[in-house]
Amino acid sequence: MTTSSTRLIATALGLALLPHVALADGVTNRAIGYVLTDKHWAVYQTPNGKAECPNGMNDGPREQFKILFPEDGTKRTMMDTQFVREGENWFPAENEPIAPNGKPLPYYEPQGKTGVGLNLDGKVGPNDFTSPAGETGIDNQLYRAVGCVAGFRGPDGAYTFFQNDYMQRQIFNRVLIEITDVDDLNNDPDVTVTTYRGFSPLLNSANGKDFIPGGTQKIDERWGKRYIHSFKGRIVNGTLTTDPADTKIPFADTFDTNVDLTLKAARFNLKLTPTTAEGLIGTYLDLKEWHHHLAINWTTHHASYGQQSIPSIIRAMRRLADAYPDPVTGKMTAISAALDVKFVQAYILRDAKKGPVAAVPAATAPAER
Amino acid sequence: MRVYLNFLPAVVSLALVACSAPPAGRAPAPQASAKDAVGPGPMDVTSPQRLRVMSSQQYTNTLFNIFGPDLKFDTRFPPLVRTGGLLGNGGAIAGVSDSQLEQYQRTAALVAAEVTNPTHRTFLIPCKPVDEKSADAACAAKFLPAIGRLLYRHPLVPEQTEALVKEAGEAATRFKDFYAGLAYALEGMLISPEMLLIAETSEPDPKRPGHQRLDAYSFATRLSLFLWNAGPDSTLLDAAASGELYTPKGRAKIVDMMLASPRLESGVRAFFDDMFGFDDFATLAKDAETYPSFTGATAADAREQTLRTLVDHLVANNGDYRDLFTTRKTFVSTALAPIYGVPAGRGWVPYEFPEGSPRTGILTHISFLAVHSHPGRSSPTLRGKALRELLLCQQVPRPPANVDFSAVENPKSTIKTQRERVNLHLANPVCAGCHKITDPMGLALENFDGSGAYRTTERGAPIDASGNLDGKSFTDVVGLGRALHDHPSLPTCLVERVYSYGSGGTANEQSKPMLTYLNQEFAAHGYRLPSLLRTIAMSNAFSEVKPPETRTASVPTQSSQTK
Repeated sequence: MTTSSTRLIATALGLALLPHVALADGVTNRAIGYVLTDKHWAVYQTPNGKAECPNGMNDGPREQFKILFPEDGTKRTMMDTQFVREGENWFPAENEPIAPNGKPLPYYEPQGKTGVGLNLDGKVGPNDFTSPAGETGIDNQLYRAVGCVAGFRGPDGAYTFFQNDYMQRQIFNRVLIEITDVDDLNNDPDVTVTTYRGFSPLLNSANGKDFIPGGTQKIDERWGKRYIHSFKGRIVNGTLTTDPADTKIPFADTFDTNVDLTLKAARFNLKLTPTTAEGLIGTYLDLKEWHHHLAINWTTHHASYGQQSIPSIIRAMRRLADAYPDPVTGKMTAISAALDVKFVQAYILRDAKKGPVAAVPAATAPAER
Repeated sequence: MRVYLNFLPAVVSLALVACSAPPAGRAPAPQASAKDAVGPGPMDVTSPQRLRVMSSQQYTNTLFNIFGPDLKFDTRFPPLVRTGGLLGNGGAIAGVSDSQLEQYQRTAALVAAEVTNPTHRTFLIPCKPVDEKSADAACAAKFLPAIGRLLYRHPLVPEQTEALVKEAGEAATRFKDFYAGLAYALEGMLISPEMLLIAETSEPDPKRPGHQRLDAYSFATRLSLFLWNAGPDSTLLDAAASGELYTPKGRAKIVDMMLASPRLESGVRAFFDDMFGFDDFATLAKDAETYPSFTGATAADAREQTLRTLVDHLVANNGDYRDLFTTRKTFVSTALAPIYGVPAGRGWVPYEFPEGSPRTGILTHISFLAVHSHPGRSSPTLRGKALRELLLCQQVPRPPANVDFSAVENPKSTIKTQRERVNLHLANPVCAGCHKITDPMGLALENFDGSGAYRTTERGAPIDASGNLDGKSFTDVVGLGRALHDHPSLPTCLVERVYSYGSGGTANEQSKPMLTYLNQEFAAHGYRLPSLLRTIAMSNAFSEVKPPETRTASVPTQSSQTK
């Protein structure tokens, strides 16, 4: 199990491709690669949303603006209204603003104990969810913050749709994983998972609806070194789980932006087949980074389509943050979350002329609450 | 828009016949000399003297060779009729319809506009007019006859040049634009019968009294279309003009020059694209739900993959033709790799399937497997038929019109594999006669589904890929490749196809001695394609012709009637 993952992908681009030794389960030279084709923040949804969001969906920027500044004849300046709201996107106050009716703006969290995600801290706490399959201790406080925001709900919430669409369409958002040291894709007690940024388009199926396995992805070795991290893992009955490790993935949501997302103490839980890998990436999100990421990617214009009030969302996230306490203030700086992901198998290539690609091994302390 | 009434009498409802002498107004070929040598090969065999319609690709290649490949135009000429296994042979029995003329005219207008536009005129037109807004006969006279010689494949007589210059001048005056006038004249040349119709003319062979041979320009054209799939270039026309082409050394020198030219690749690609029936790609469609990995890009690249493999093996490496059916070397692209289950770099990348791989030979290329399958399933019958007809030049009878397909097309059938399906045919005496010809070797390809992807089972049942080809049994596709490699008809089929392609028509009874000679030579030279091409190009039969017995159009037109 000591073979370096980097030596297993020694096929050179631009040179004659070497024959490869493939097993029946799709593993070639003890390795198999996958490329990310779908990613959504894991949000538990019942068919009509009534169970988890009995109060309906939260208001977005336009609805909140109307409540705060009703057309009641009051003379207001742009400075007092729009600029204040835009400023709140970047500097949200601790509490929801008070509306003319004397009440704070409402903001609804999902109700119930059911949620999707992974048990990141190994504990079963009072705020944890239970998965639909019955697993307790699910850490996904991001869901509690955004679960009743229309833009975060599938399949056509504006944010959940576009952050996935741009990932699919833009090559610089390409996320690869390679599982190496694989002796058996169904059961292997010791495998290594390495993350990369890819450099190639996804392959559409003939009907245009899906992405097909068997494509080839080149590793971005020049600008993508910061995305290369390795995880130790295991495969049990076809499900890959890894130990936690920090990594980054490209996560641009809009037109030609280029944003990284840090996944703290991330871990994979993927059901593997020779052609697909589907499941969850559980992680903690840095509040500041995520706030910056959302505000810079998603303008009020965009947020309005999905009724996503950035000030309200960030307030909720700060309130629900559950890990990485600030050593000085004791305030939590990260929030648990899960990405619902789908990968298809891909051949991962690198340029042999450039030598091995260095993967950064896991060096993450367990998240603490 | 130009109207070329003078074109119509020559081509409408055409029964194409060639001329034993150059038509009026055409420059005669250089005088034949008794010192000139004839080529080797059987001396009592001639090839027919023909009149052919230029194909789209020949037209395109010719213009690219003359004006450069950056010219932007398209040639959507109607397809020719496949005759004797080749579309190329269809050029000799084609007619030219009114709608076809419209297509020619459209392309000619595009080309003329491109050549004379400000981007290209600076380097394609060898002079500048004194005044761009008026006619300039001197400048037009430098450009038009030089280009006309290449387009018409022989020099222009002075009267032709004068007429073209006059036409360009009148148009320039009318449009108040020298280049518009030049484009007008050029468009006329591009749609002229002399450009579009390849009319072979012959002359008495000075070395062999009583025999006719192609005149030097016709021979240059035949050589060029054969080896380059384009009209002759200036060097070739110079050799024709000087008489060098009909000297022993000169002919060898020219043929060797042509075989060494990068343009040979175009010729070889065109021939195999034709022989392997790759025009079927134009209508190839796969069920997207059944074969999600088979996209439009897959189809385009599948054709290109096989052509690249052919050129690399036969031309670049001068390989044995038969080894094409056992080689594991090929090229892959991003669009093909998912079906082959291999990685692919950017663009086309050489790839060799590992030893023991079932991907051996071009029969296991997607181009063969997918084209000769149904949209939603493989077909041992279509594959076997294609193997027999395309590669062995054998004719498989068409199925009778009243075939009962209910047993094999029953959607509720419990049949799992194609072998079970075709066995139903074999149980029916009406069907069995032909299916015994096609299915035993087609079944050896059953490890590949209708998209060309490898499989070991079909609907959960293991696939039995055993079969036989004319007495040779095998257990899988690797064995089929070897059996085909050793099949005596494989090289003889190629010889027949190449010879008929080069001479412009289906080989006939009279061609037999020539084919026998070529088969012997092909085998003696290790089944190398360049050697075969050279043997044909140097043979007596390739230049000695039998003139047509009549020059009368089969259907007289109004303008052909004498008053």
